[in-house]
Amino acid sequence: MPETIDIQLKKGVLGLCVLAVLARNESYAYEIASHLSEAIGMGEGTIYPLMRRMQTDGLVATYLVESSSGPSRKYYKLTDAGRAALEAQRDEWRGFAIAVDALLEPLPAPLAATPEPLEEA
Amino acid sequence: MTRIEFLDRLCKGLKGLPPAALKDIMADYEAHFKDAAAEGRAESEVAEALGDPDRLARELRAEAGVKSWDEAKTPSNASSAIIGILGLGAIDILILLPLAGGVVGTLIGIFAAAIGAFIGGGVLFAAGPFMGLPGGIIAALLGGFGIMALAATIGAVTLALTIWLVNGLVWYARLHYRVLKPALES
Repeated sequence: MPETIDIQLKKGVLGLCVLAVLARNESYAYEIASHLSEAIGMGEGTIYPLMRRMQTDGLVATYLVESSSGPSRKYYKLTDAGRAALEAQRDEWRGFAIAVDALLEPLPAPLAATPEPLEEA
Repeated sequence: MTRIEFLDRLCKGLKGLPPAALKDIMADYEAHFKDAAAEGRAESEVAEALGDPDRLARELRAEAGVKSWDEAKTPSNASSAIIGILGLGAIDILILLPLAGGVVGTLIGIFAAAIGAFIGGGVLFAAGPFMGLPGGIIAALLGGFGIMALAATIGAVTLALTIWLVNGLVWYARLHYRVLKPALES
């Protein structure tokens, strides 16, 4: 079955979305997952392998926070490399989105740069 | 599927991981169920939203294998990274197997030849001067030493090539990560 454009798009930007969420607030996995599943319809189970991969790549770091109820909770925060990756990917995304938007617009009616038809001699 | 069933299947799928890593991963999912329960969500609904535990286990194993290979380039870490990646289905195993068999066989052969040549050079270096070979003592000493140096060089180059090959494989598998797809579809 061919992938829909929706899935391909989300797959490509999931990492960027997590970086963006963490840049706003340091957070724990359940919160990140419910945030993203609400915002872009990401499957919740996806978050754990993704967070592990991002940790392996050095983009996020973890720390434990004591919780009033039960065991302490694992929080994620951006590392310097994570912040740099966020900036680079954000610029890339914006440039890409602008380019695609421009392509989706209908051509402006009379094109200034339309070449003159050649006249037969 | 209940919470217990989900965690059980996940745990079975992760068999073979180092105990610390396994505990870490299981704690993640236990916390997930707990957080969801605190929001009043039903266990079965949470388990369904998480996706297939067998598939999650495969992806987590692949990730753990790649991580240990990144940390230390040992033969056992190389094999766990490769097995984990193959488990993902990221690389077509039927296409890869004969190719990998050939490559691995060739590498082992080169290593064995290098070790053999090294030993042979050592013997020539040590015993050559007393064997009355044509060319005399100096030729035997230099020849033996030269063969040993050449063998060591070939071994080192082959080792570097092997590490580079495994890195390439990991990179290729990452590029073709297909595992996020089903989670997004569900």
